[in-house]
Amino acid sequence: MHMADALLSPAVAMTMNVVSAAAIGISVKKIKKNELGEKIIPLMGVAGAMVFAAQMVDITIPLTGSSGHLGGGILLAGLLGSIPAFLSMAAILIIQCLFFADGGLLALGSNIFVLGVVPCLLIYPLIFKPLIKAGLSYKRISVASIISAAAGLQLGAFIVVLLTLLSRITALPFGTFLVLMQPIHLVIGIFEGIITAAVLCFVYNMRPEIITSLRSDEGLDNISMKKILAAFAVLAVVIGGALSLLASEHPDGLEWSVEKTTARVFGIETELEAEGSIYENAESIQGQTAFLPDYAFASDPDNAFGTSLSGLIGAFITFLAAGLCGFVITKAKKS
Amino acid sequence: MPDLSTRVREIRAFDSLAAGKTVIHNLNPLTKILSTFVFIIIIASFGRYDFIRLAPYLFYPFVVMALAELPYKLLLSRILIVLPFCLLAGITNVIFERTTAFTVGSIAISFGVLSLATIMLKMYLCVMAALFLIATTKITDLTKELRRLHIPMIFVIILEMTFRYIGVLFEELYSMATAYKLRSGSKKGVNIKHIGSFLGQLLLRGFDRAERIHTAMRCRGYTLYQVAPRRRKISGLDIFTLVFVCFMSILFRVM
Repeated sequence: MHMADALLSPAVAMTMNVVSAAAIGISVKKIKKNELGEKIIPLMGVAGAMVFAAQMVDITIPLTGSSGHLGGGILLAGLLGSIPAFLSMAAILIIQCLFFADGGLLALGSNIFVLGVVPCLLIYPLIFKPLIKAGLSYKRISVASIISAAAGLQLGAFIVVLLTLLSRITALPFGTFLVLMQPIHLVIGIFEGIITAAVLCFVYNMRPEIITSLRSDEGLDNISMKKILAAFAVLAVVIGGALSLLASEHPDGLEWSVEKTTARVFGIETELEAEGSIYENAESIQGQTAFLPDYAFASDPDNAFGTSLSGLIGAFITFLAAGLCGFVITKAKKS
Repeated sequence: MPDLSTRVREIRAFDSLAAGKTVIHNLNPLTKILSTFVFIIIIASFGRYDFIRLAPYLFYPFVVMALAELPYKLLLSRILIVLPFCLLAGITNVIFERTTAFTVGSIAISFGVLSLATIMLKMYLCVMAALFLIATTKITDLTKELRRLHIPMIFVIILEMTFRYIGVLFEELYSMATAYKLRSGSKKGVNIKHIGSFLGQLLLRGFDRAERIHTAMRCRGYTLYQVAPRRRKISGLDIFTLVFVCFMSILFRVM
């Protein structure tokens, strides 16, 4: 589910980078204030590395012959609490981005938001914690894990769709994209929930103190949701304002065509209407993100400059020249 | 089970690549971070049909790879990871955008095909640029530079710790996976029934080990708040590289 650089426009990607950086900044401040900070950092490193390693394990599901991998946000939050889990997740994503080219450098903020902020800072305090409030038991841990993981991936998938469309890289209509993404991620989410539940139950069984001691530390876990949401809102307004200064004056027809196709073709108006305000906001940002005015579009073939046979030949010659250049340097270095 | 030892070897391969001593390796990490970022932003800012305008940027990967003496094969294998999602988005464009953009001889090229090609080229350029950064910069130099950029120290430490524990836990995981494999006959992967104890055990072992290591480090005077690293000099070559990459990237963007 990692997003790639090639699928995001710079405006969208940078906005998400700023938002995620702010989330990291706030979290670091929180953890610094806490006594537990120093003790928990090595554990965060290990837990992060464990999630990383766990992603390499092929998990077979009996009878289906298919296999899956682990995302890890809820698992980390269950073990460490929301803020340490988020920082740990951000570290994992940065390492994955750098060493495995899994998710691009520019898309880092989007990935941290989708896989870190969403499960650790939103889903965990809002869904997981209330579900286990009555006290820890295997059943409660399992139910909370599965519901949270599924909800986290649903929200995550929805945000991925939104970001890709805002970037205008894919021609896929909103509804089709959503229909493609949501059900798959529901299955993956439930699967991830089961794994999360299994690991948390095992740790609770073997070493209940790991889960309970971290849980009892309210200072670190009780982040004020209001503050975080307010910070995000302020950021969105500031960035939106800044971007609108650069925005093109004539937003193209993509927004309304996307809207129309979803409503008409897929008959999911209700779902969209439920998301009405988010979608409207998103739409206004979408209108503002076209800050490079010479963006070429299918509706305006005159703008598709240079897209001709001669252009293609030119591109090919450039490719050869670049390759030759590299070859010459390599040869020169060897001799 | 994916070959775990291969993955470990790959991480180490990047580590040893980063220990090289070429012109690119010797650049200040800050120069590399900034130029990589500028390059990627410029690439991403191109429109969805700008395939041809992206061509000049191909000089970047070819030249840097040659200068830094990087092996092509290893870098290309990393690209395969990003491929599926980009391919999916690109192929749906082929299905949805069938208007002809132009014709080559008697073959009509649709806007969809053009945008697929553009996404692929963009992906190649962005992934390569990011890989160059890590293949020519040691992780310790990179984290030092992050600290100088005022990224909170705690976060940098978490980053370093996670990175170091990956190596440790991978070895642990490797032996556990081998043991599991030997006892499970010819079956592939870990059954979901056992995943709780499998991963849980890995985690608990890791925690124990981390605590021991942390205590040992504390005994030797380690604290989280170490002295800030010394500034690395910015040479003329650094400034030249940064200005050159930025200038060329922007030049071909506005041309």
